Amino acid sequence: MPPRIPLQPQQLRPSSSTQYVCRQCRNASVASATTPAPPLDQTIHAAAPIARYPPTQPPSYKPAEFRKTQLHRQYQSLLRSSQLMLVFQHNNLKSTEWMGIRRELAVALRKVDEELAQKGIEDLVGNDAKLQVVQTGIFASALKVVEFWDPHFAPTIPGADAPDATDPKTASSAVMSDIKPSKDDKKIAHGLSKQAHHIAVHRAKFMRHGLEPLISGPLALLTLPTVSPQHLKAALSILSPSKEIPAPKRKTNPGYHEPAVQNGIQKLMLLGARIEGKAFDLEGTKWVGGIEGGMEGLRGQMVAMLQSLGAGVTNTLEAASKSLYLTVEGRRTMLEDEGKGESEKKPEGS
Amino acid sequence: MHTKYLTAIKTTFSPFNARSGKTARNFLALLPPNARSTMAIDVKMLPKTKAGETATLELKFKDGKEMNLDLSKMKIRDIQVEVDRHSRMLRRAEDLSGN
Repeated sequence: MPPRIPLQPQQLRPSSSTQYVCRQCRNASVASATTPAPPLDQTIHAAAPIARYPPTQPPSYKPAEFRKTQLHRQYQSLLRSSQLMLVFQHNNLKSTEWMGIRRELAVALRKVDEELAQKGIEDLVGNDAKLQVVQTGIFASALKVVEFWDPHFAPTIPGADAPDATDPKTASSAVMSDIKPSKDDKKIAHGLSKQAHHIAVHRAKFMRHGLEPLISGPLALLTLPTVSPQHLKAALSILSPSKEIPAPKRKTNPGYHEPAVQNGIQKLMLLGARIEGKAFDLEGTKWVGGIEGGMEGLRGQMVAMLQSLGAGVTNTLEAASKSLYLTVEGRRTMLEDEGKGESEKKPEGS
Repeated sequence: MHTKYLTAIKTTFSPFNARSGKTARNFLALLPPNARSTMAIDVKMLPKTKAGETATLELKFKDGKEMNLDLSKMKIRDIQVEVDRHSRMLRRAEDLSGN
C-alpha cells in the first residue's frame, strides 16, 4: 500500500503559469474522419426535403416558357370565368375596323350598365366584356380540358396523406417520396399538367361538348362574366344585327354607321355561343338575347307563375272542405228550422 | 386563290355541319379585306337543326361564268383549284388583250 500523501486543493488546480490544453477538443477534429461515409445510394438519389419548384409554379406538360402554354392557361381561365361567350368568325378585318367595333361595343354596353344602375342593379357586367381574337387550335385544346377534365379545386388538407414539402411544419428530416419536379408526377394536377392533357384527349374521343364544328378557322370571342340578356342584346345589336335585334339608328348613333365600322361588321360572322357551358346556335343566342327584363324579369315571371299555381292548389284543396262545411251547415239550419216548425206546430195540435 | 375576277358570291350553310360549314367558312376567310367593295357577297347561315341540309356555294366571274360548287364533296383545296383554273384563263385573256 502506497503512502498517503495529503492533497491540497491548490495543487489540483492548474497553475496560471502553465497553459491549459484541452485534449478532448484537439482530438475532436480528428474524430470526424472515423465516422462512416453515407451509403453511395443515398448520396446519389436522396433528395433534400425541399421543393425544387415554387408552389405556385408546378411543372407543366409542355414547357411553361412557351407562348402556347401561356395562351392555353389563359383560355382555360377565360372559359372557366365567363358564363356567356359568343363565337365569331372574323374574315380579314383591319385593325381600324376592330378599333371601331370595339369602341361601339363598349359604348353600347356602358349604356346598358347605366340603365341598370338607375334601376339599382350595379353589376357592371359591361365593363368586363371583352372582344378578342383567339388562336383556334389552342382554344380547342383548352375547351377540351375545361369540359372533360374535373380539376377538383377543393382545398386539400395538408399532412393528411403525405408530408408536404412546401409546408413549413414539415420536419427537415422527413422522408419525401418525390420532390424533384417531374411532369409524370400523379400529384401534380392543374390545367396544364400531363394528367389533365391525357384525360381530356382520351375523353374527347367519346364525349362531345357541342362546339366542335365551330372551332375552326379564324375565331374571335366576346366574353361576359355573367349571363345578362340585356347586355347580350346590346352586343348583338352592334355585332350581328338582325330583324329581331335591329342595329341602332343613324340618328341615335352616328358613329356606328361610319364606313370603317360597317365594313368590319359585315366581315364578322356570329357562329354560335356557349352559355353556362352549353352550346347554342344563332337562333338560340337571339332567343337568350330577347328575354325581356333580363334575368330579373325571368325570375319575376317564374315567381308569378308559382304564386298563381300555389293559389290554385289551395283553392282546390279548400273547396272540398268548404263545400262539406256548407252542406252540413245548410242541413243543420234546415233541421233546426224543421225542429222549430214542429215545436210550433205541436202546441197547436195538442 | 385569285379573287380578282370574282363578282358575286352567294352561299348558304350551317356552321354546325362539320364538313360543308367548315369549307364555306374557310372560303369566306380567304377573301381579301376589301372583298365587300369589289364583289357582292351574300351569306346565309342556317340554324343547328338544319345542319343536315345541303350547303350551296355559287360564284360568278367577270366574264359571266357561274360556278355551282358542291360543298358536300369538295373541300377548300378543290374549290381553290377550280376558282384558280378559271381565273388563270381570264388573266391570260386580259394579258393578251394588252390591258
